[in-house]
Amino acid sequence: MNLIERLSHLDRRVIFLLVAFAVVIPMLQPIGLPIDITKPVKKVYDKIESLAPGSIVLLSTDFDPGSEAELYPATEAIIEHCFRKNLKIYVMGLWPAGSDLGNLALNKIAPRYNKNYGTDYINVGYRPGGAVMLLSLGKNFGDIIKVDYQGTPIDLLELGRAVKSSKNLGLVMTLSAGDPGILHWIIYFHARYGVPICGATTAIMAPQQYTYLGSGQLVGLLGGLKGAAEYEVLVNRKGRASIGMDSQSIVHVLLVIFILLGNIILLHQKGKR
Amino acid sequence: MKRTLPLIIVAGSGFFMLVAFFIPSKFFQDTSQTFQNWYIGVAAFFVFIGILNLVKINIEKIQRKLRDWRYCYILLFFLAFTMATGFIQGREGKAFLYMFYNFQTPLGATMFSLLAFFMASATFRAFRAKTPEATILLIAALLVMLGRIPVGYWIWHNYPDLVEWIMTGPNTAAKRGILFGIDLGLISMALRVLLGIERSYMGGGGE
Amino acid sequence: MLLTIFFVLSGIVVKAFDTPNDDGSSITITWHSDSTYKSYEILRGLNPNVQFDKICEANGKDTIFFDADVTPNKNYYYIIKGKNDSLINLSQIIGPIKSKTQFFNMFYLNLGICIAVLFFAIIFYIMRARSGGKLFIRRIPALNALEEAIGRATEMGKAVLYVPGIMDIDDPQTIASMSILARVAEKTASYGTTLYVPTSRSMAMSMAQQIVKESATKVGRPDWYNPDNIRYVTDDQFGYVSAVDGIMVRDRPAANLYLGTFYAESLILAETGHSTGAIQIAGTAMSDQLPFFVAACDFTLLGEELYAASAYLSQEPIQLGSLKGQDLGKLLFVMVILIGVISQLINWPVFYNLFNTCQP
Repeated sequence: MNLIERLSHLDRRVIFLLVAFAVVIPMLQPIGLPIDITKPVKKVYDKIESLAPGSIVLLSTDFDPGSEAELYPATEAIIEHCFRKNLKIYVMGLWPAGSDLGNLALNKIAPRYNKNYGTDYINVGYRPGGAVMLLSLGKNFGDIIKVDYQGTPIDLLELGRAVKSSKNLGLVMTLSAGDPGILHWIIYFHARYGVPICGATTAIMAPQQYTYLGSGQLVGLLGGLKGAAEYEVLVNRKGRASIGMDSQSIVHVLLVIFILLGNIILLHQKGKR
Repeated sequence: MKRTLPLIIVAGSGFFMLVAFFIPSKFFQDTSQTFQNWYIGVAAFFVFIGILNLVKINIEKIQRKLRDWRYCYILLFFLAFTMATGFIQGREGKAFLYMFYNFQTPLGATMFSLLAFFMASATFRAFRAKTPEATILLIAALLVMLGRIPVGYWIWHNYPDLVEWIMTGPNTAAKRGILFGIDLGLISMALRVLLGIERSYMGGGGE
Repeated sequence: MLLTIFFVLSGIVVKAFDTPNDDGSSITITWHSDSTYKSYEILRGLNPNVQFDKICEANGKDTIFFDADVTPNKNYYYIIKGKNDSLINLSQIIGPIKSKTQFFNMFYLNLGICIAVLFFAIIFYIMRARSGGKLFIRRIPALNALEEAIGRATEMGKAVLYVPGIMDIDDPQTIASMSILARVAEKTASYGTTLYVPTSRSMAMSMAQQIVKESATKVGRPDWYNPDNIRYVTDDQFGYVSAVDGIMVRDRPAANLYLGTFYAESLILAETGHSTGAIQIAGTAMSDQLPFFVAACDFTLLGEELYAASAYLSQEPIQLGSLKGQDLGKLLFVMVILIGVISQLINWPVFYNLFNTCQP
């Protein structure tokens, strides 16, 4: 059996092993490949830069631990940028685990900028109901949000009192891994109340969001780990996304090799027939 | 009556919500808001139904000593433990958060990571230029995969711009076309449900 | 009644009117000024001769305020105070302004017309189908393969695994999936083949149990129904996919059907199913996941084919009529897109603005 025939019967576990090496080796021995900045990511950065100090950004952490690897670095980078610009952050989650992950990022970054809970940022926790909840939220936050994630009445918190409806928001930044997510914010919040929406999503879902980018319904987009890495470069932050890009690059090259190999095998098999 | 009443409820509430979208009056908005609140309440209540079903099935598995029945003890123990810590200490309790950050988060991330491996094996097995369409897909995939990483920028500084063009041009056009078709199909199906033509969601097949 | 009133104040032009397309609970006040003010105060009163209360402090750059705390058909008066360090300018009293309830949101008129056109197209073909008109629907290979897949499982003495997606019953794809589940359950019940339906949501589990039970009863096999085969697993996306993978690897069903809403787990399910040697039919309207299903499954329902499945499988004229109506609607929208493209090329914004749906 020649090499090509052996390769056509390649055990999946060999492929898995090669992928594992491609991920682990660059993490142990970083390469430091340059990261270019793409327009959709720059638009998010520019939008946040354009907000006046004191503006309120609603950060919706609509993801769970499964998507944490791609979206959590983006969460940290966005929070850091907002705090640097003295913007106020109103965190909520349309997914159960999302607000806890948002909390993790806030507790890590807020002390560095001397930001106080209740005044500079607030977390109202998980809000079930998806689209149905968003429709009510835009009109009157008070109808839906009575307490924060710790059970403190929202009226006792300065930032909680400041946000009465969508009109008080400067921007909605949604970090979304699926449904409910970016699409819901666009349909039920932006279209109804006109609040600008920026998004961050997993690499798989990013291509779909380009339709909303093109129409202007989405201001900007961070797509996958690459988007998060670009944002870290823009805010001058060395985070997990930038570190992970080396591994992602090598894996992509490996996948390209697999595709080429697969097609060489196909041509060989066609030639034999 | 068993089949007529649900149809009346579906048609009535469905058309009401559709009409309420266009009518700003307080009565319509408040009533549609009430329906939405009811839905949220019902959805939250159904979490208990699911948990009861889970517990029932696993207890039966233990009682009847079916295959892998011992794992049911582990499931039931962690279900009870997580619920207890959540109720006693609240969502910010140490034990509850410990389990979230040290069990659920890494386990979820691990499962998501399987995608990288399965993507590689699917790529090797299935990404073959068998037809002209498959060849175009292949070339586009190769271009985008290389352009999305720093290697692409390193090969050619304008490579990322080419990839952005593929994403904003052909990709967006194709996605919009697919979305139009999907949304029209969705409206058609919704109308069939509202008019009572489509009834299989109630059980037992169509009309 | 004159609802729009404006005054000129020391270079500030103020306009107040009933906010359009609302329930009468809002009045809009807009202003612009030649000179720069640091801030504006908006004061409101019920009577021009009585005390005015401050209702809002606006930034010097703001030019609009929505007073959302008004009662319909009640007179209101406003004063705007422009503040600039030591300088304060007061406007004349603006009013009386009344807010009114609008009975139709004119901003959504274009949307309403599009929906009405689509509805009439669908109803037209349904009526035509009722009157006995013959309707041609193209072949959908994935749906034709369903029977084959179930037959294969029956011959091998193995089960059929039906995964209805990971979303709840408020998702249209889950409802479409349940419609197909009814037909699959009828077939598996009549053949006596085991059917596993693990669900990710408890409401979906309840619906699936009801559907499968009634399907079994319909084909005269109520004894075949086993509620333990239709079970709730977990809401957690990857917990669910782990459980389904476990079923595939342990029980080795001969046919895997993935019909509904899927996200990142689609490839994990499809690849695991492929490794067990099962025949796989997938269907989803999630355009991001379609490439994975197309690559890893034997047959795939693409987008709208999932919604058409129930009509296609039943072959009932009335349901097929709705498919034709949907296609007519699609044709109309294609024509609108073409006109829209031409209008943009020749810079004719009137046509484009007809389809604007974002509130100002």
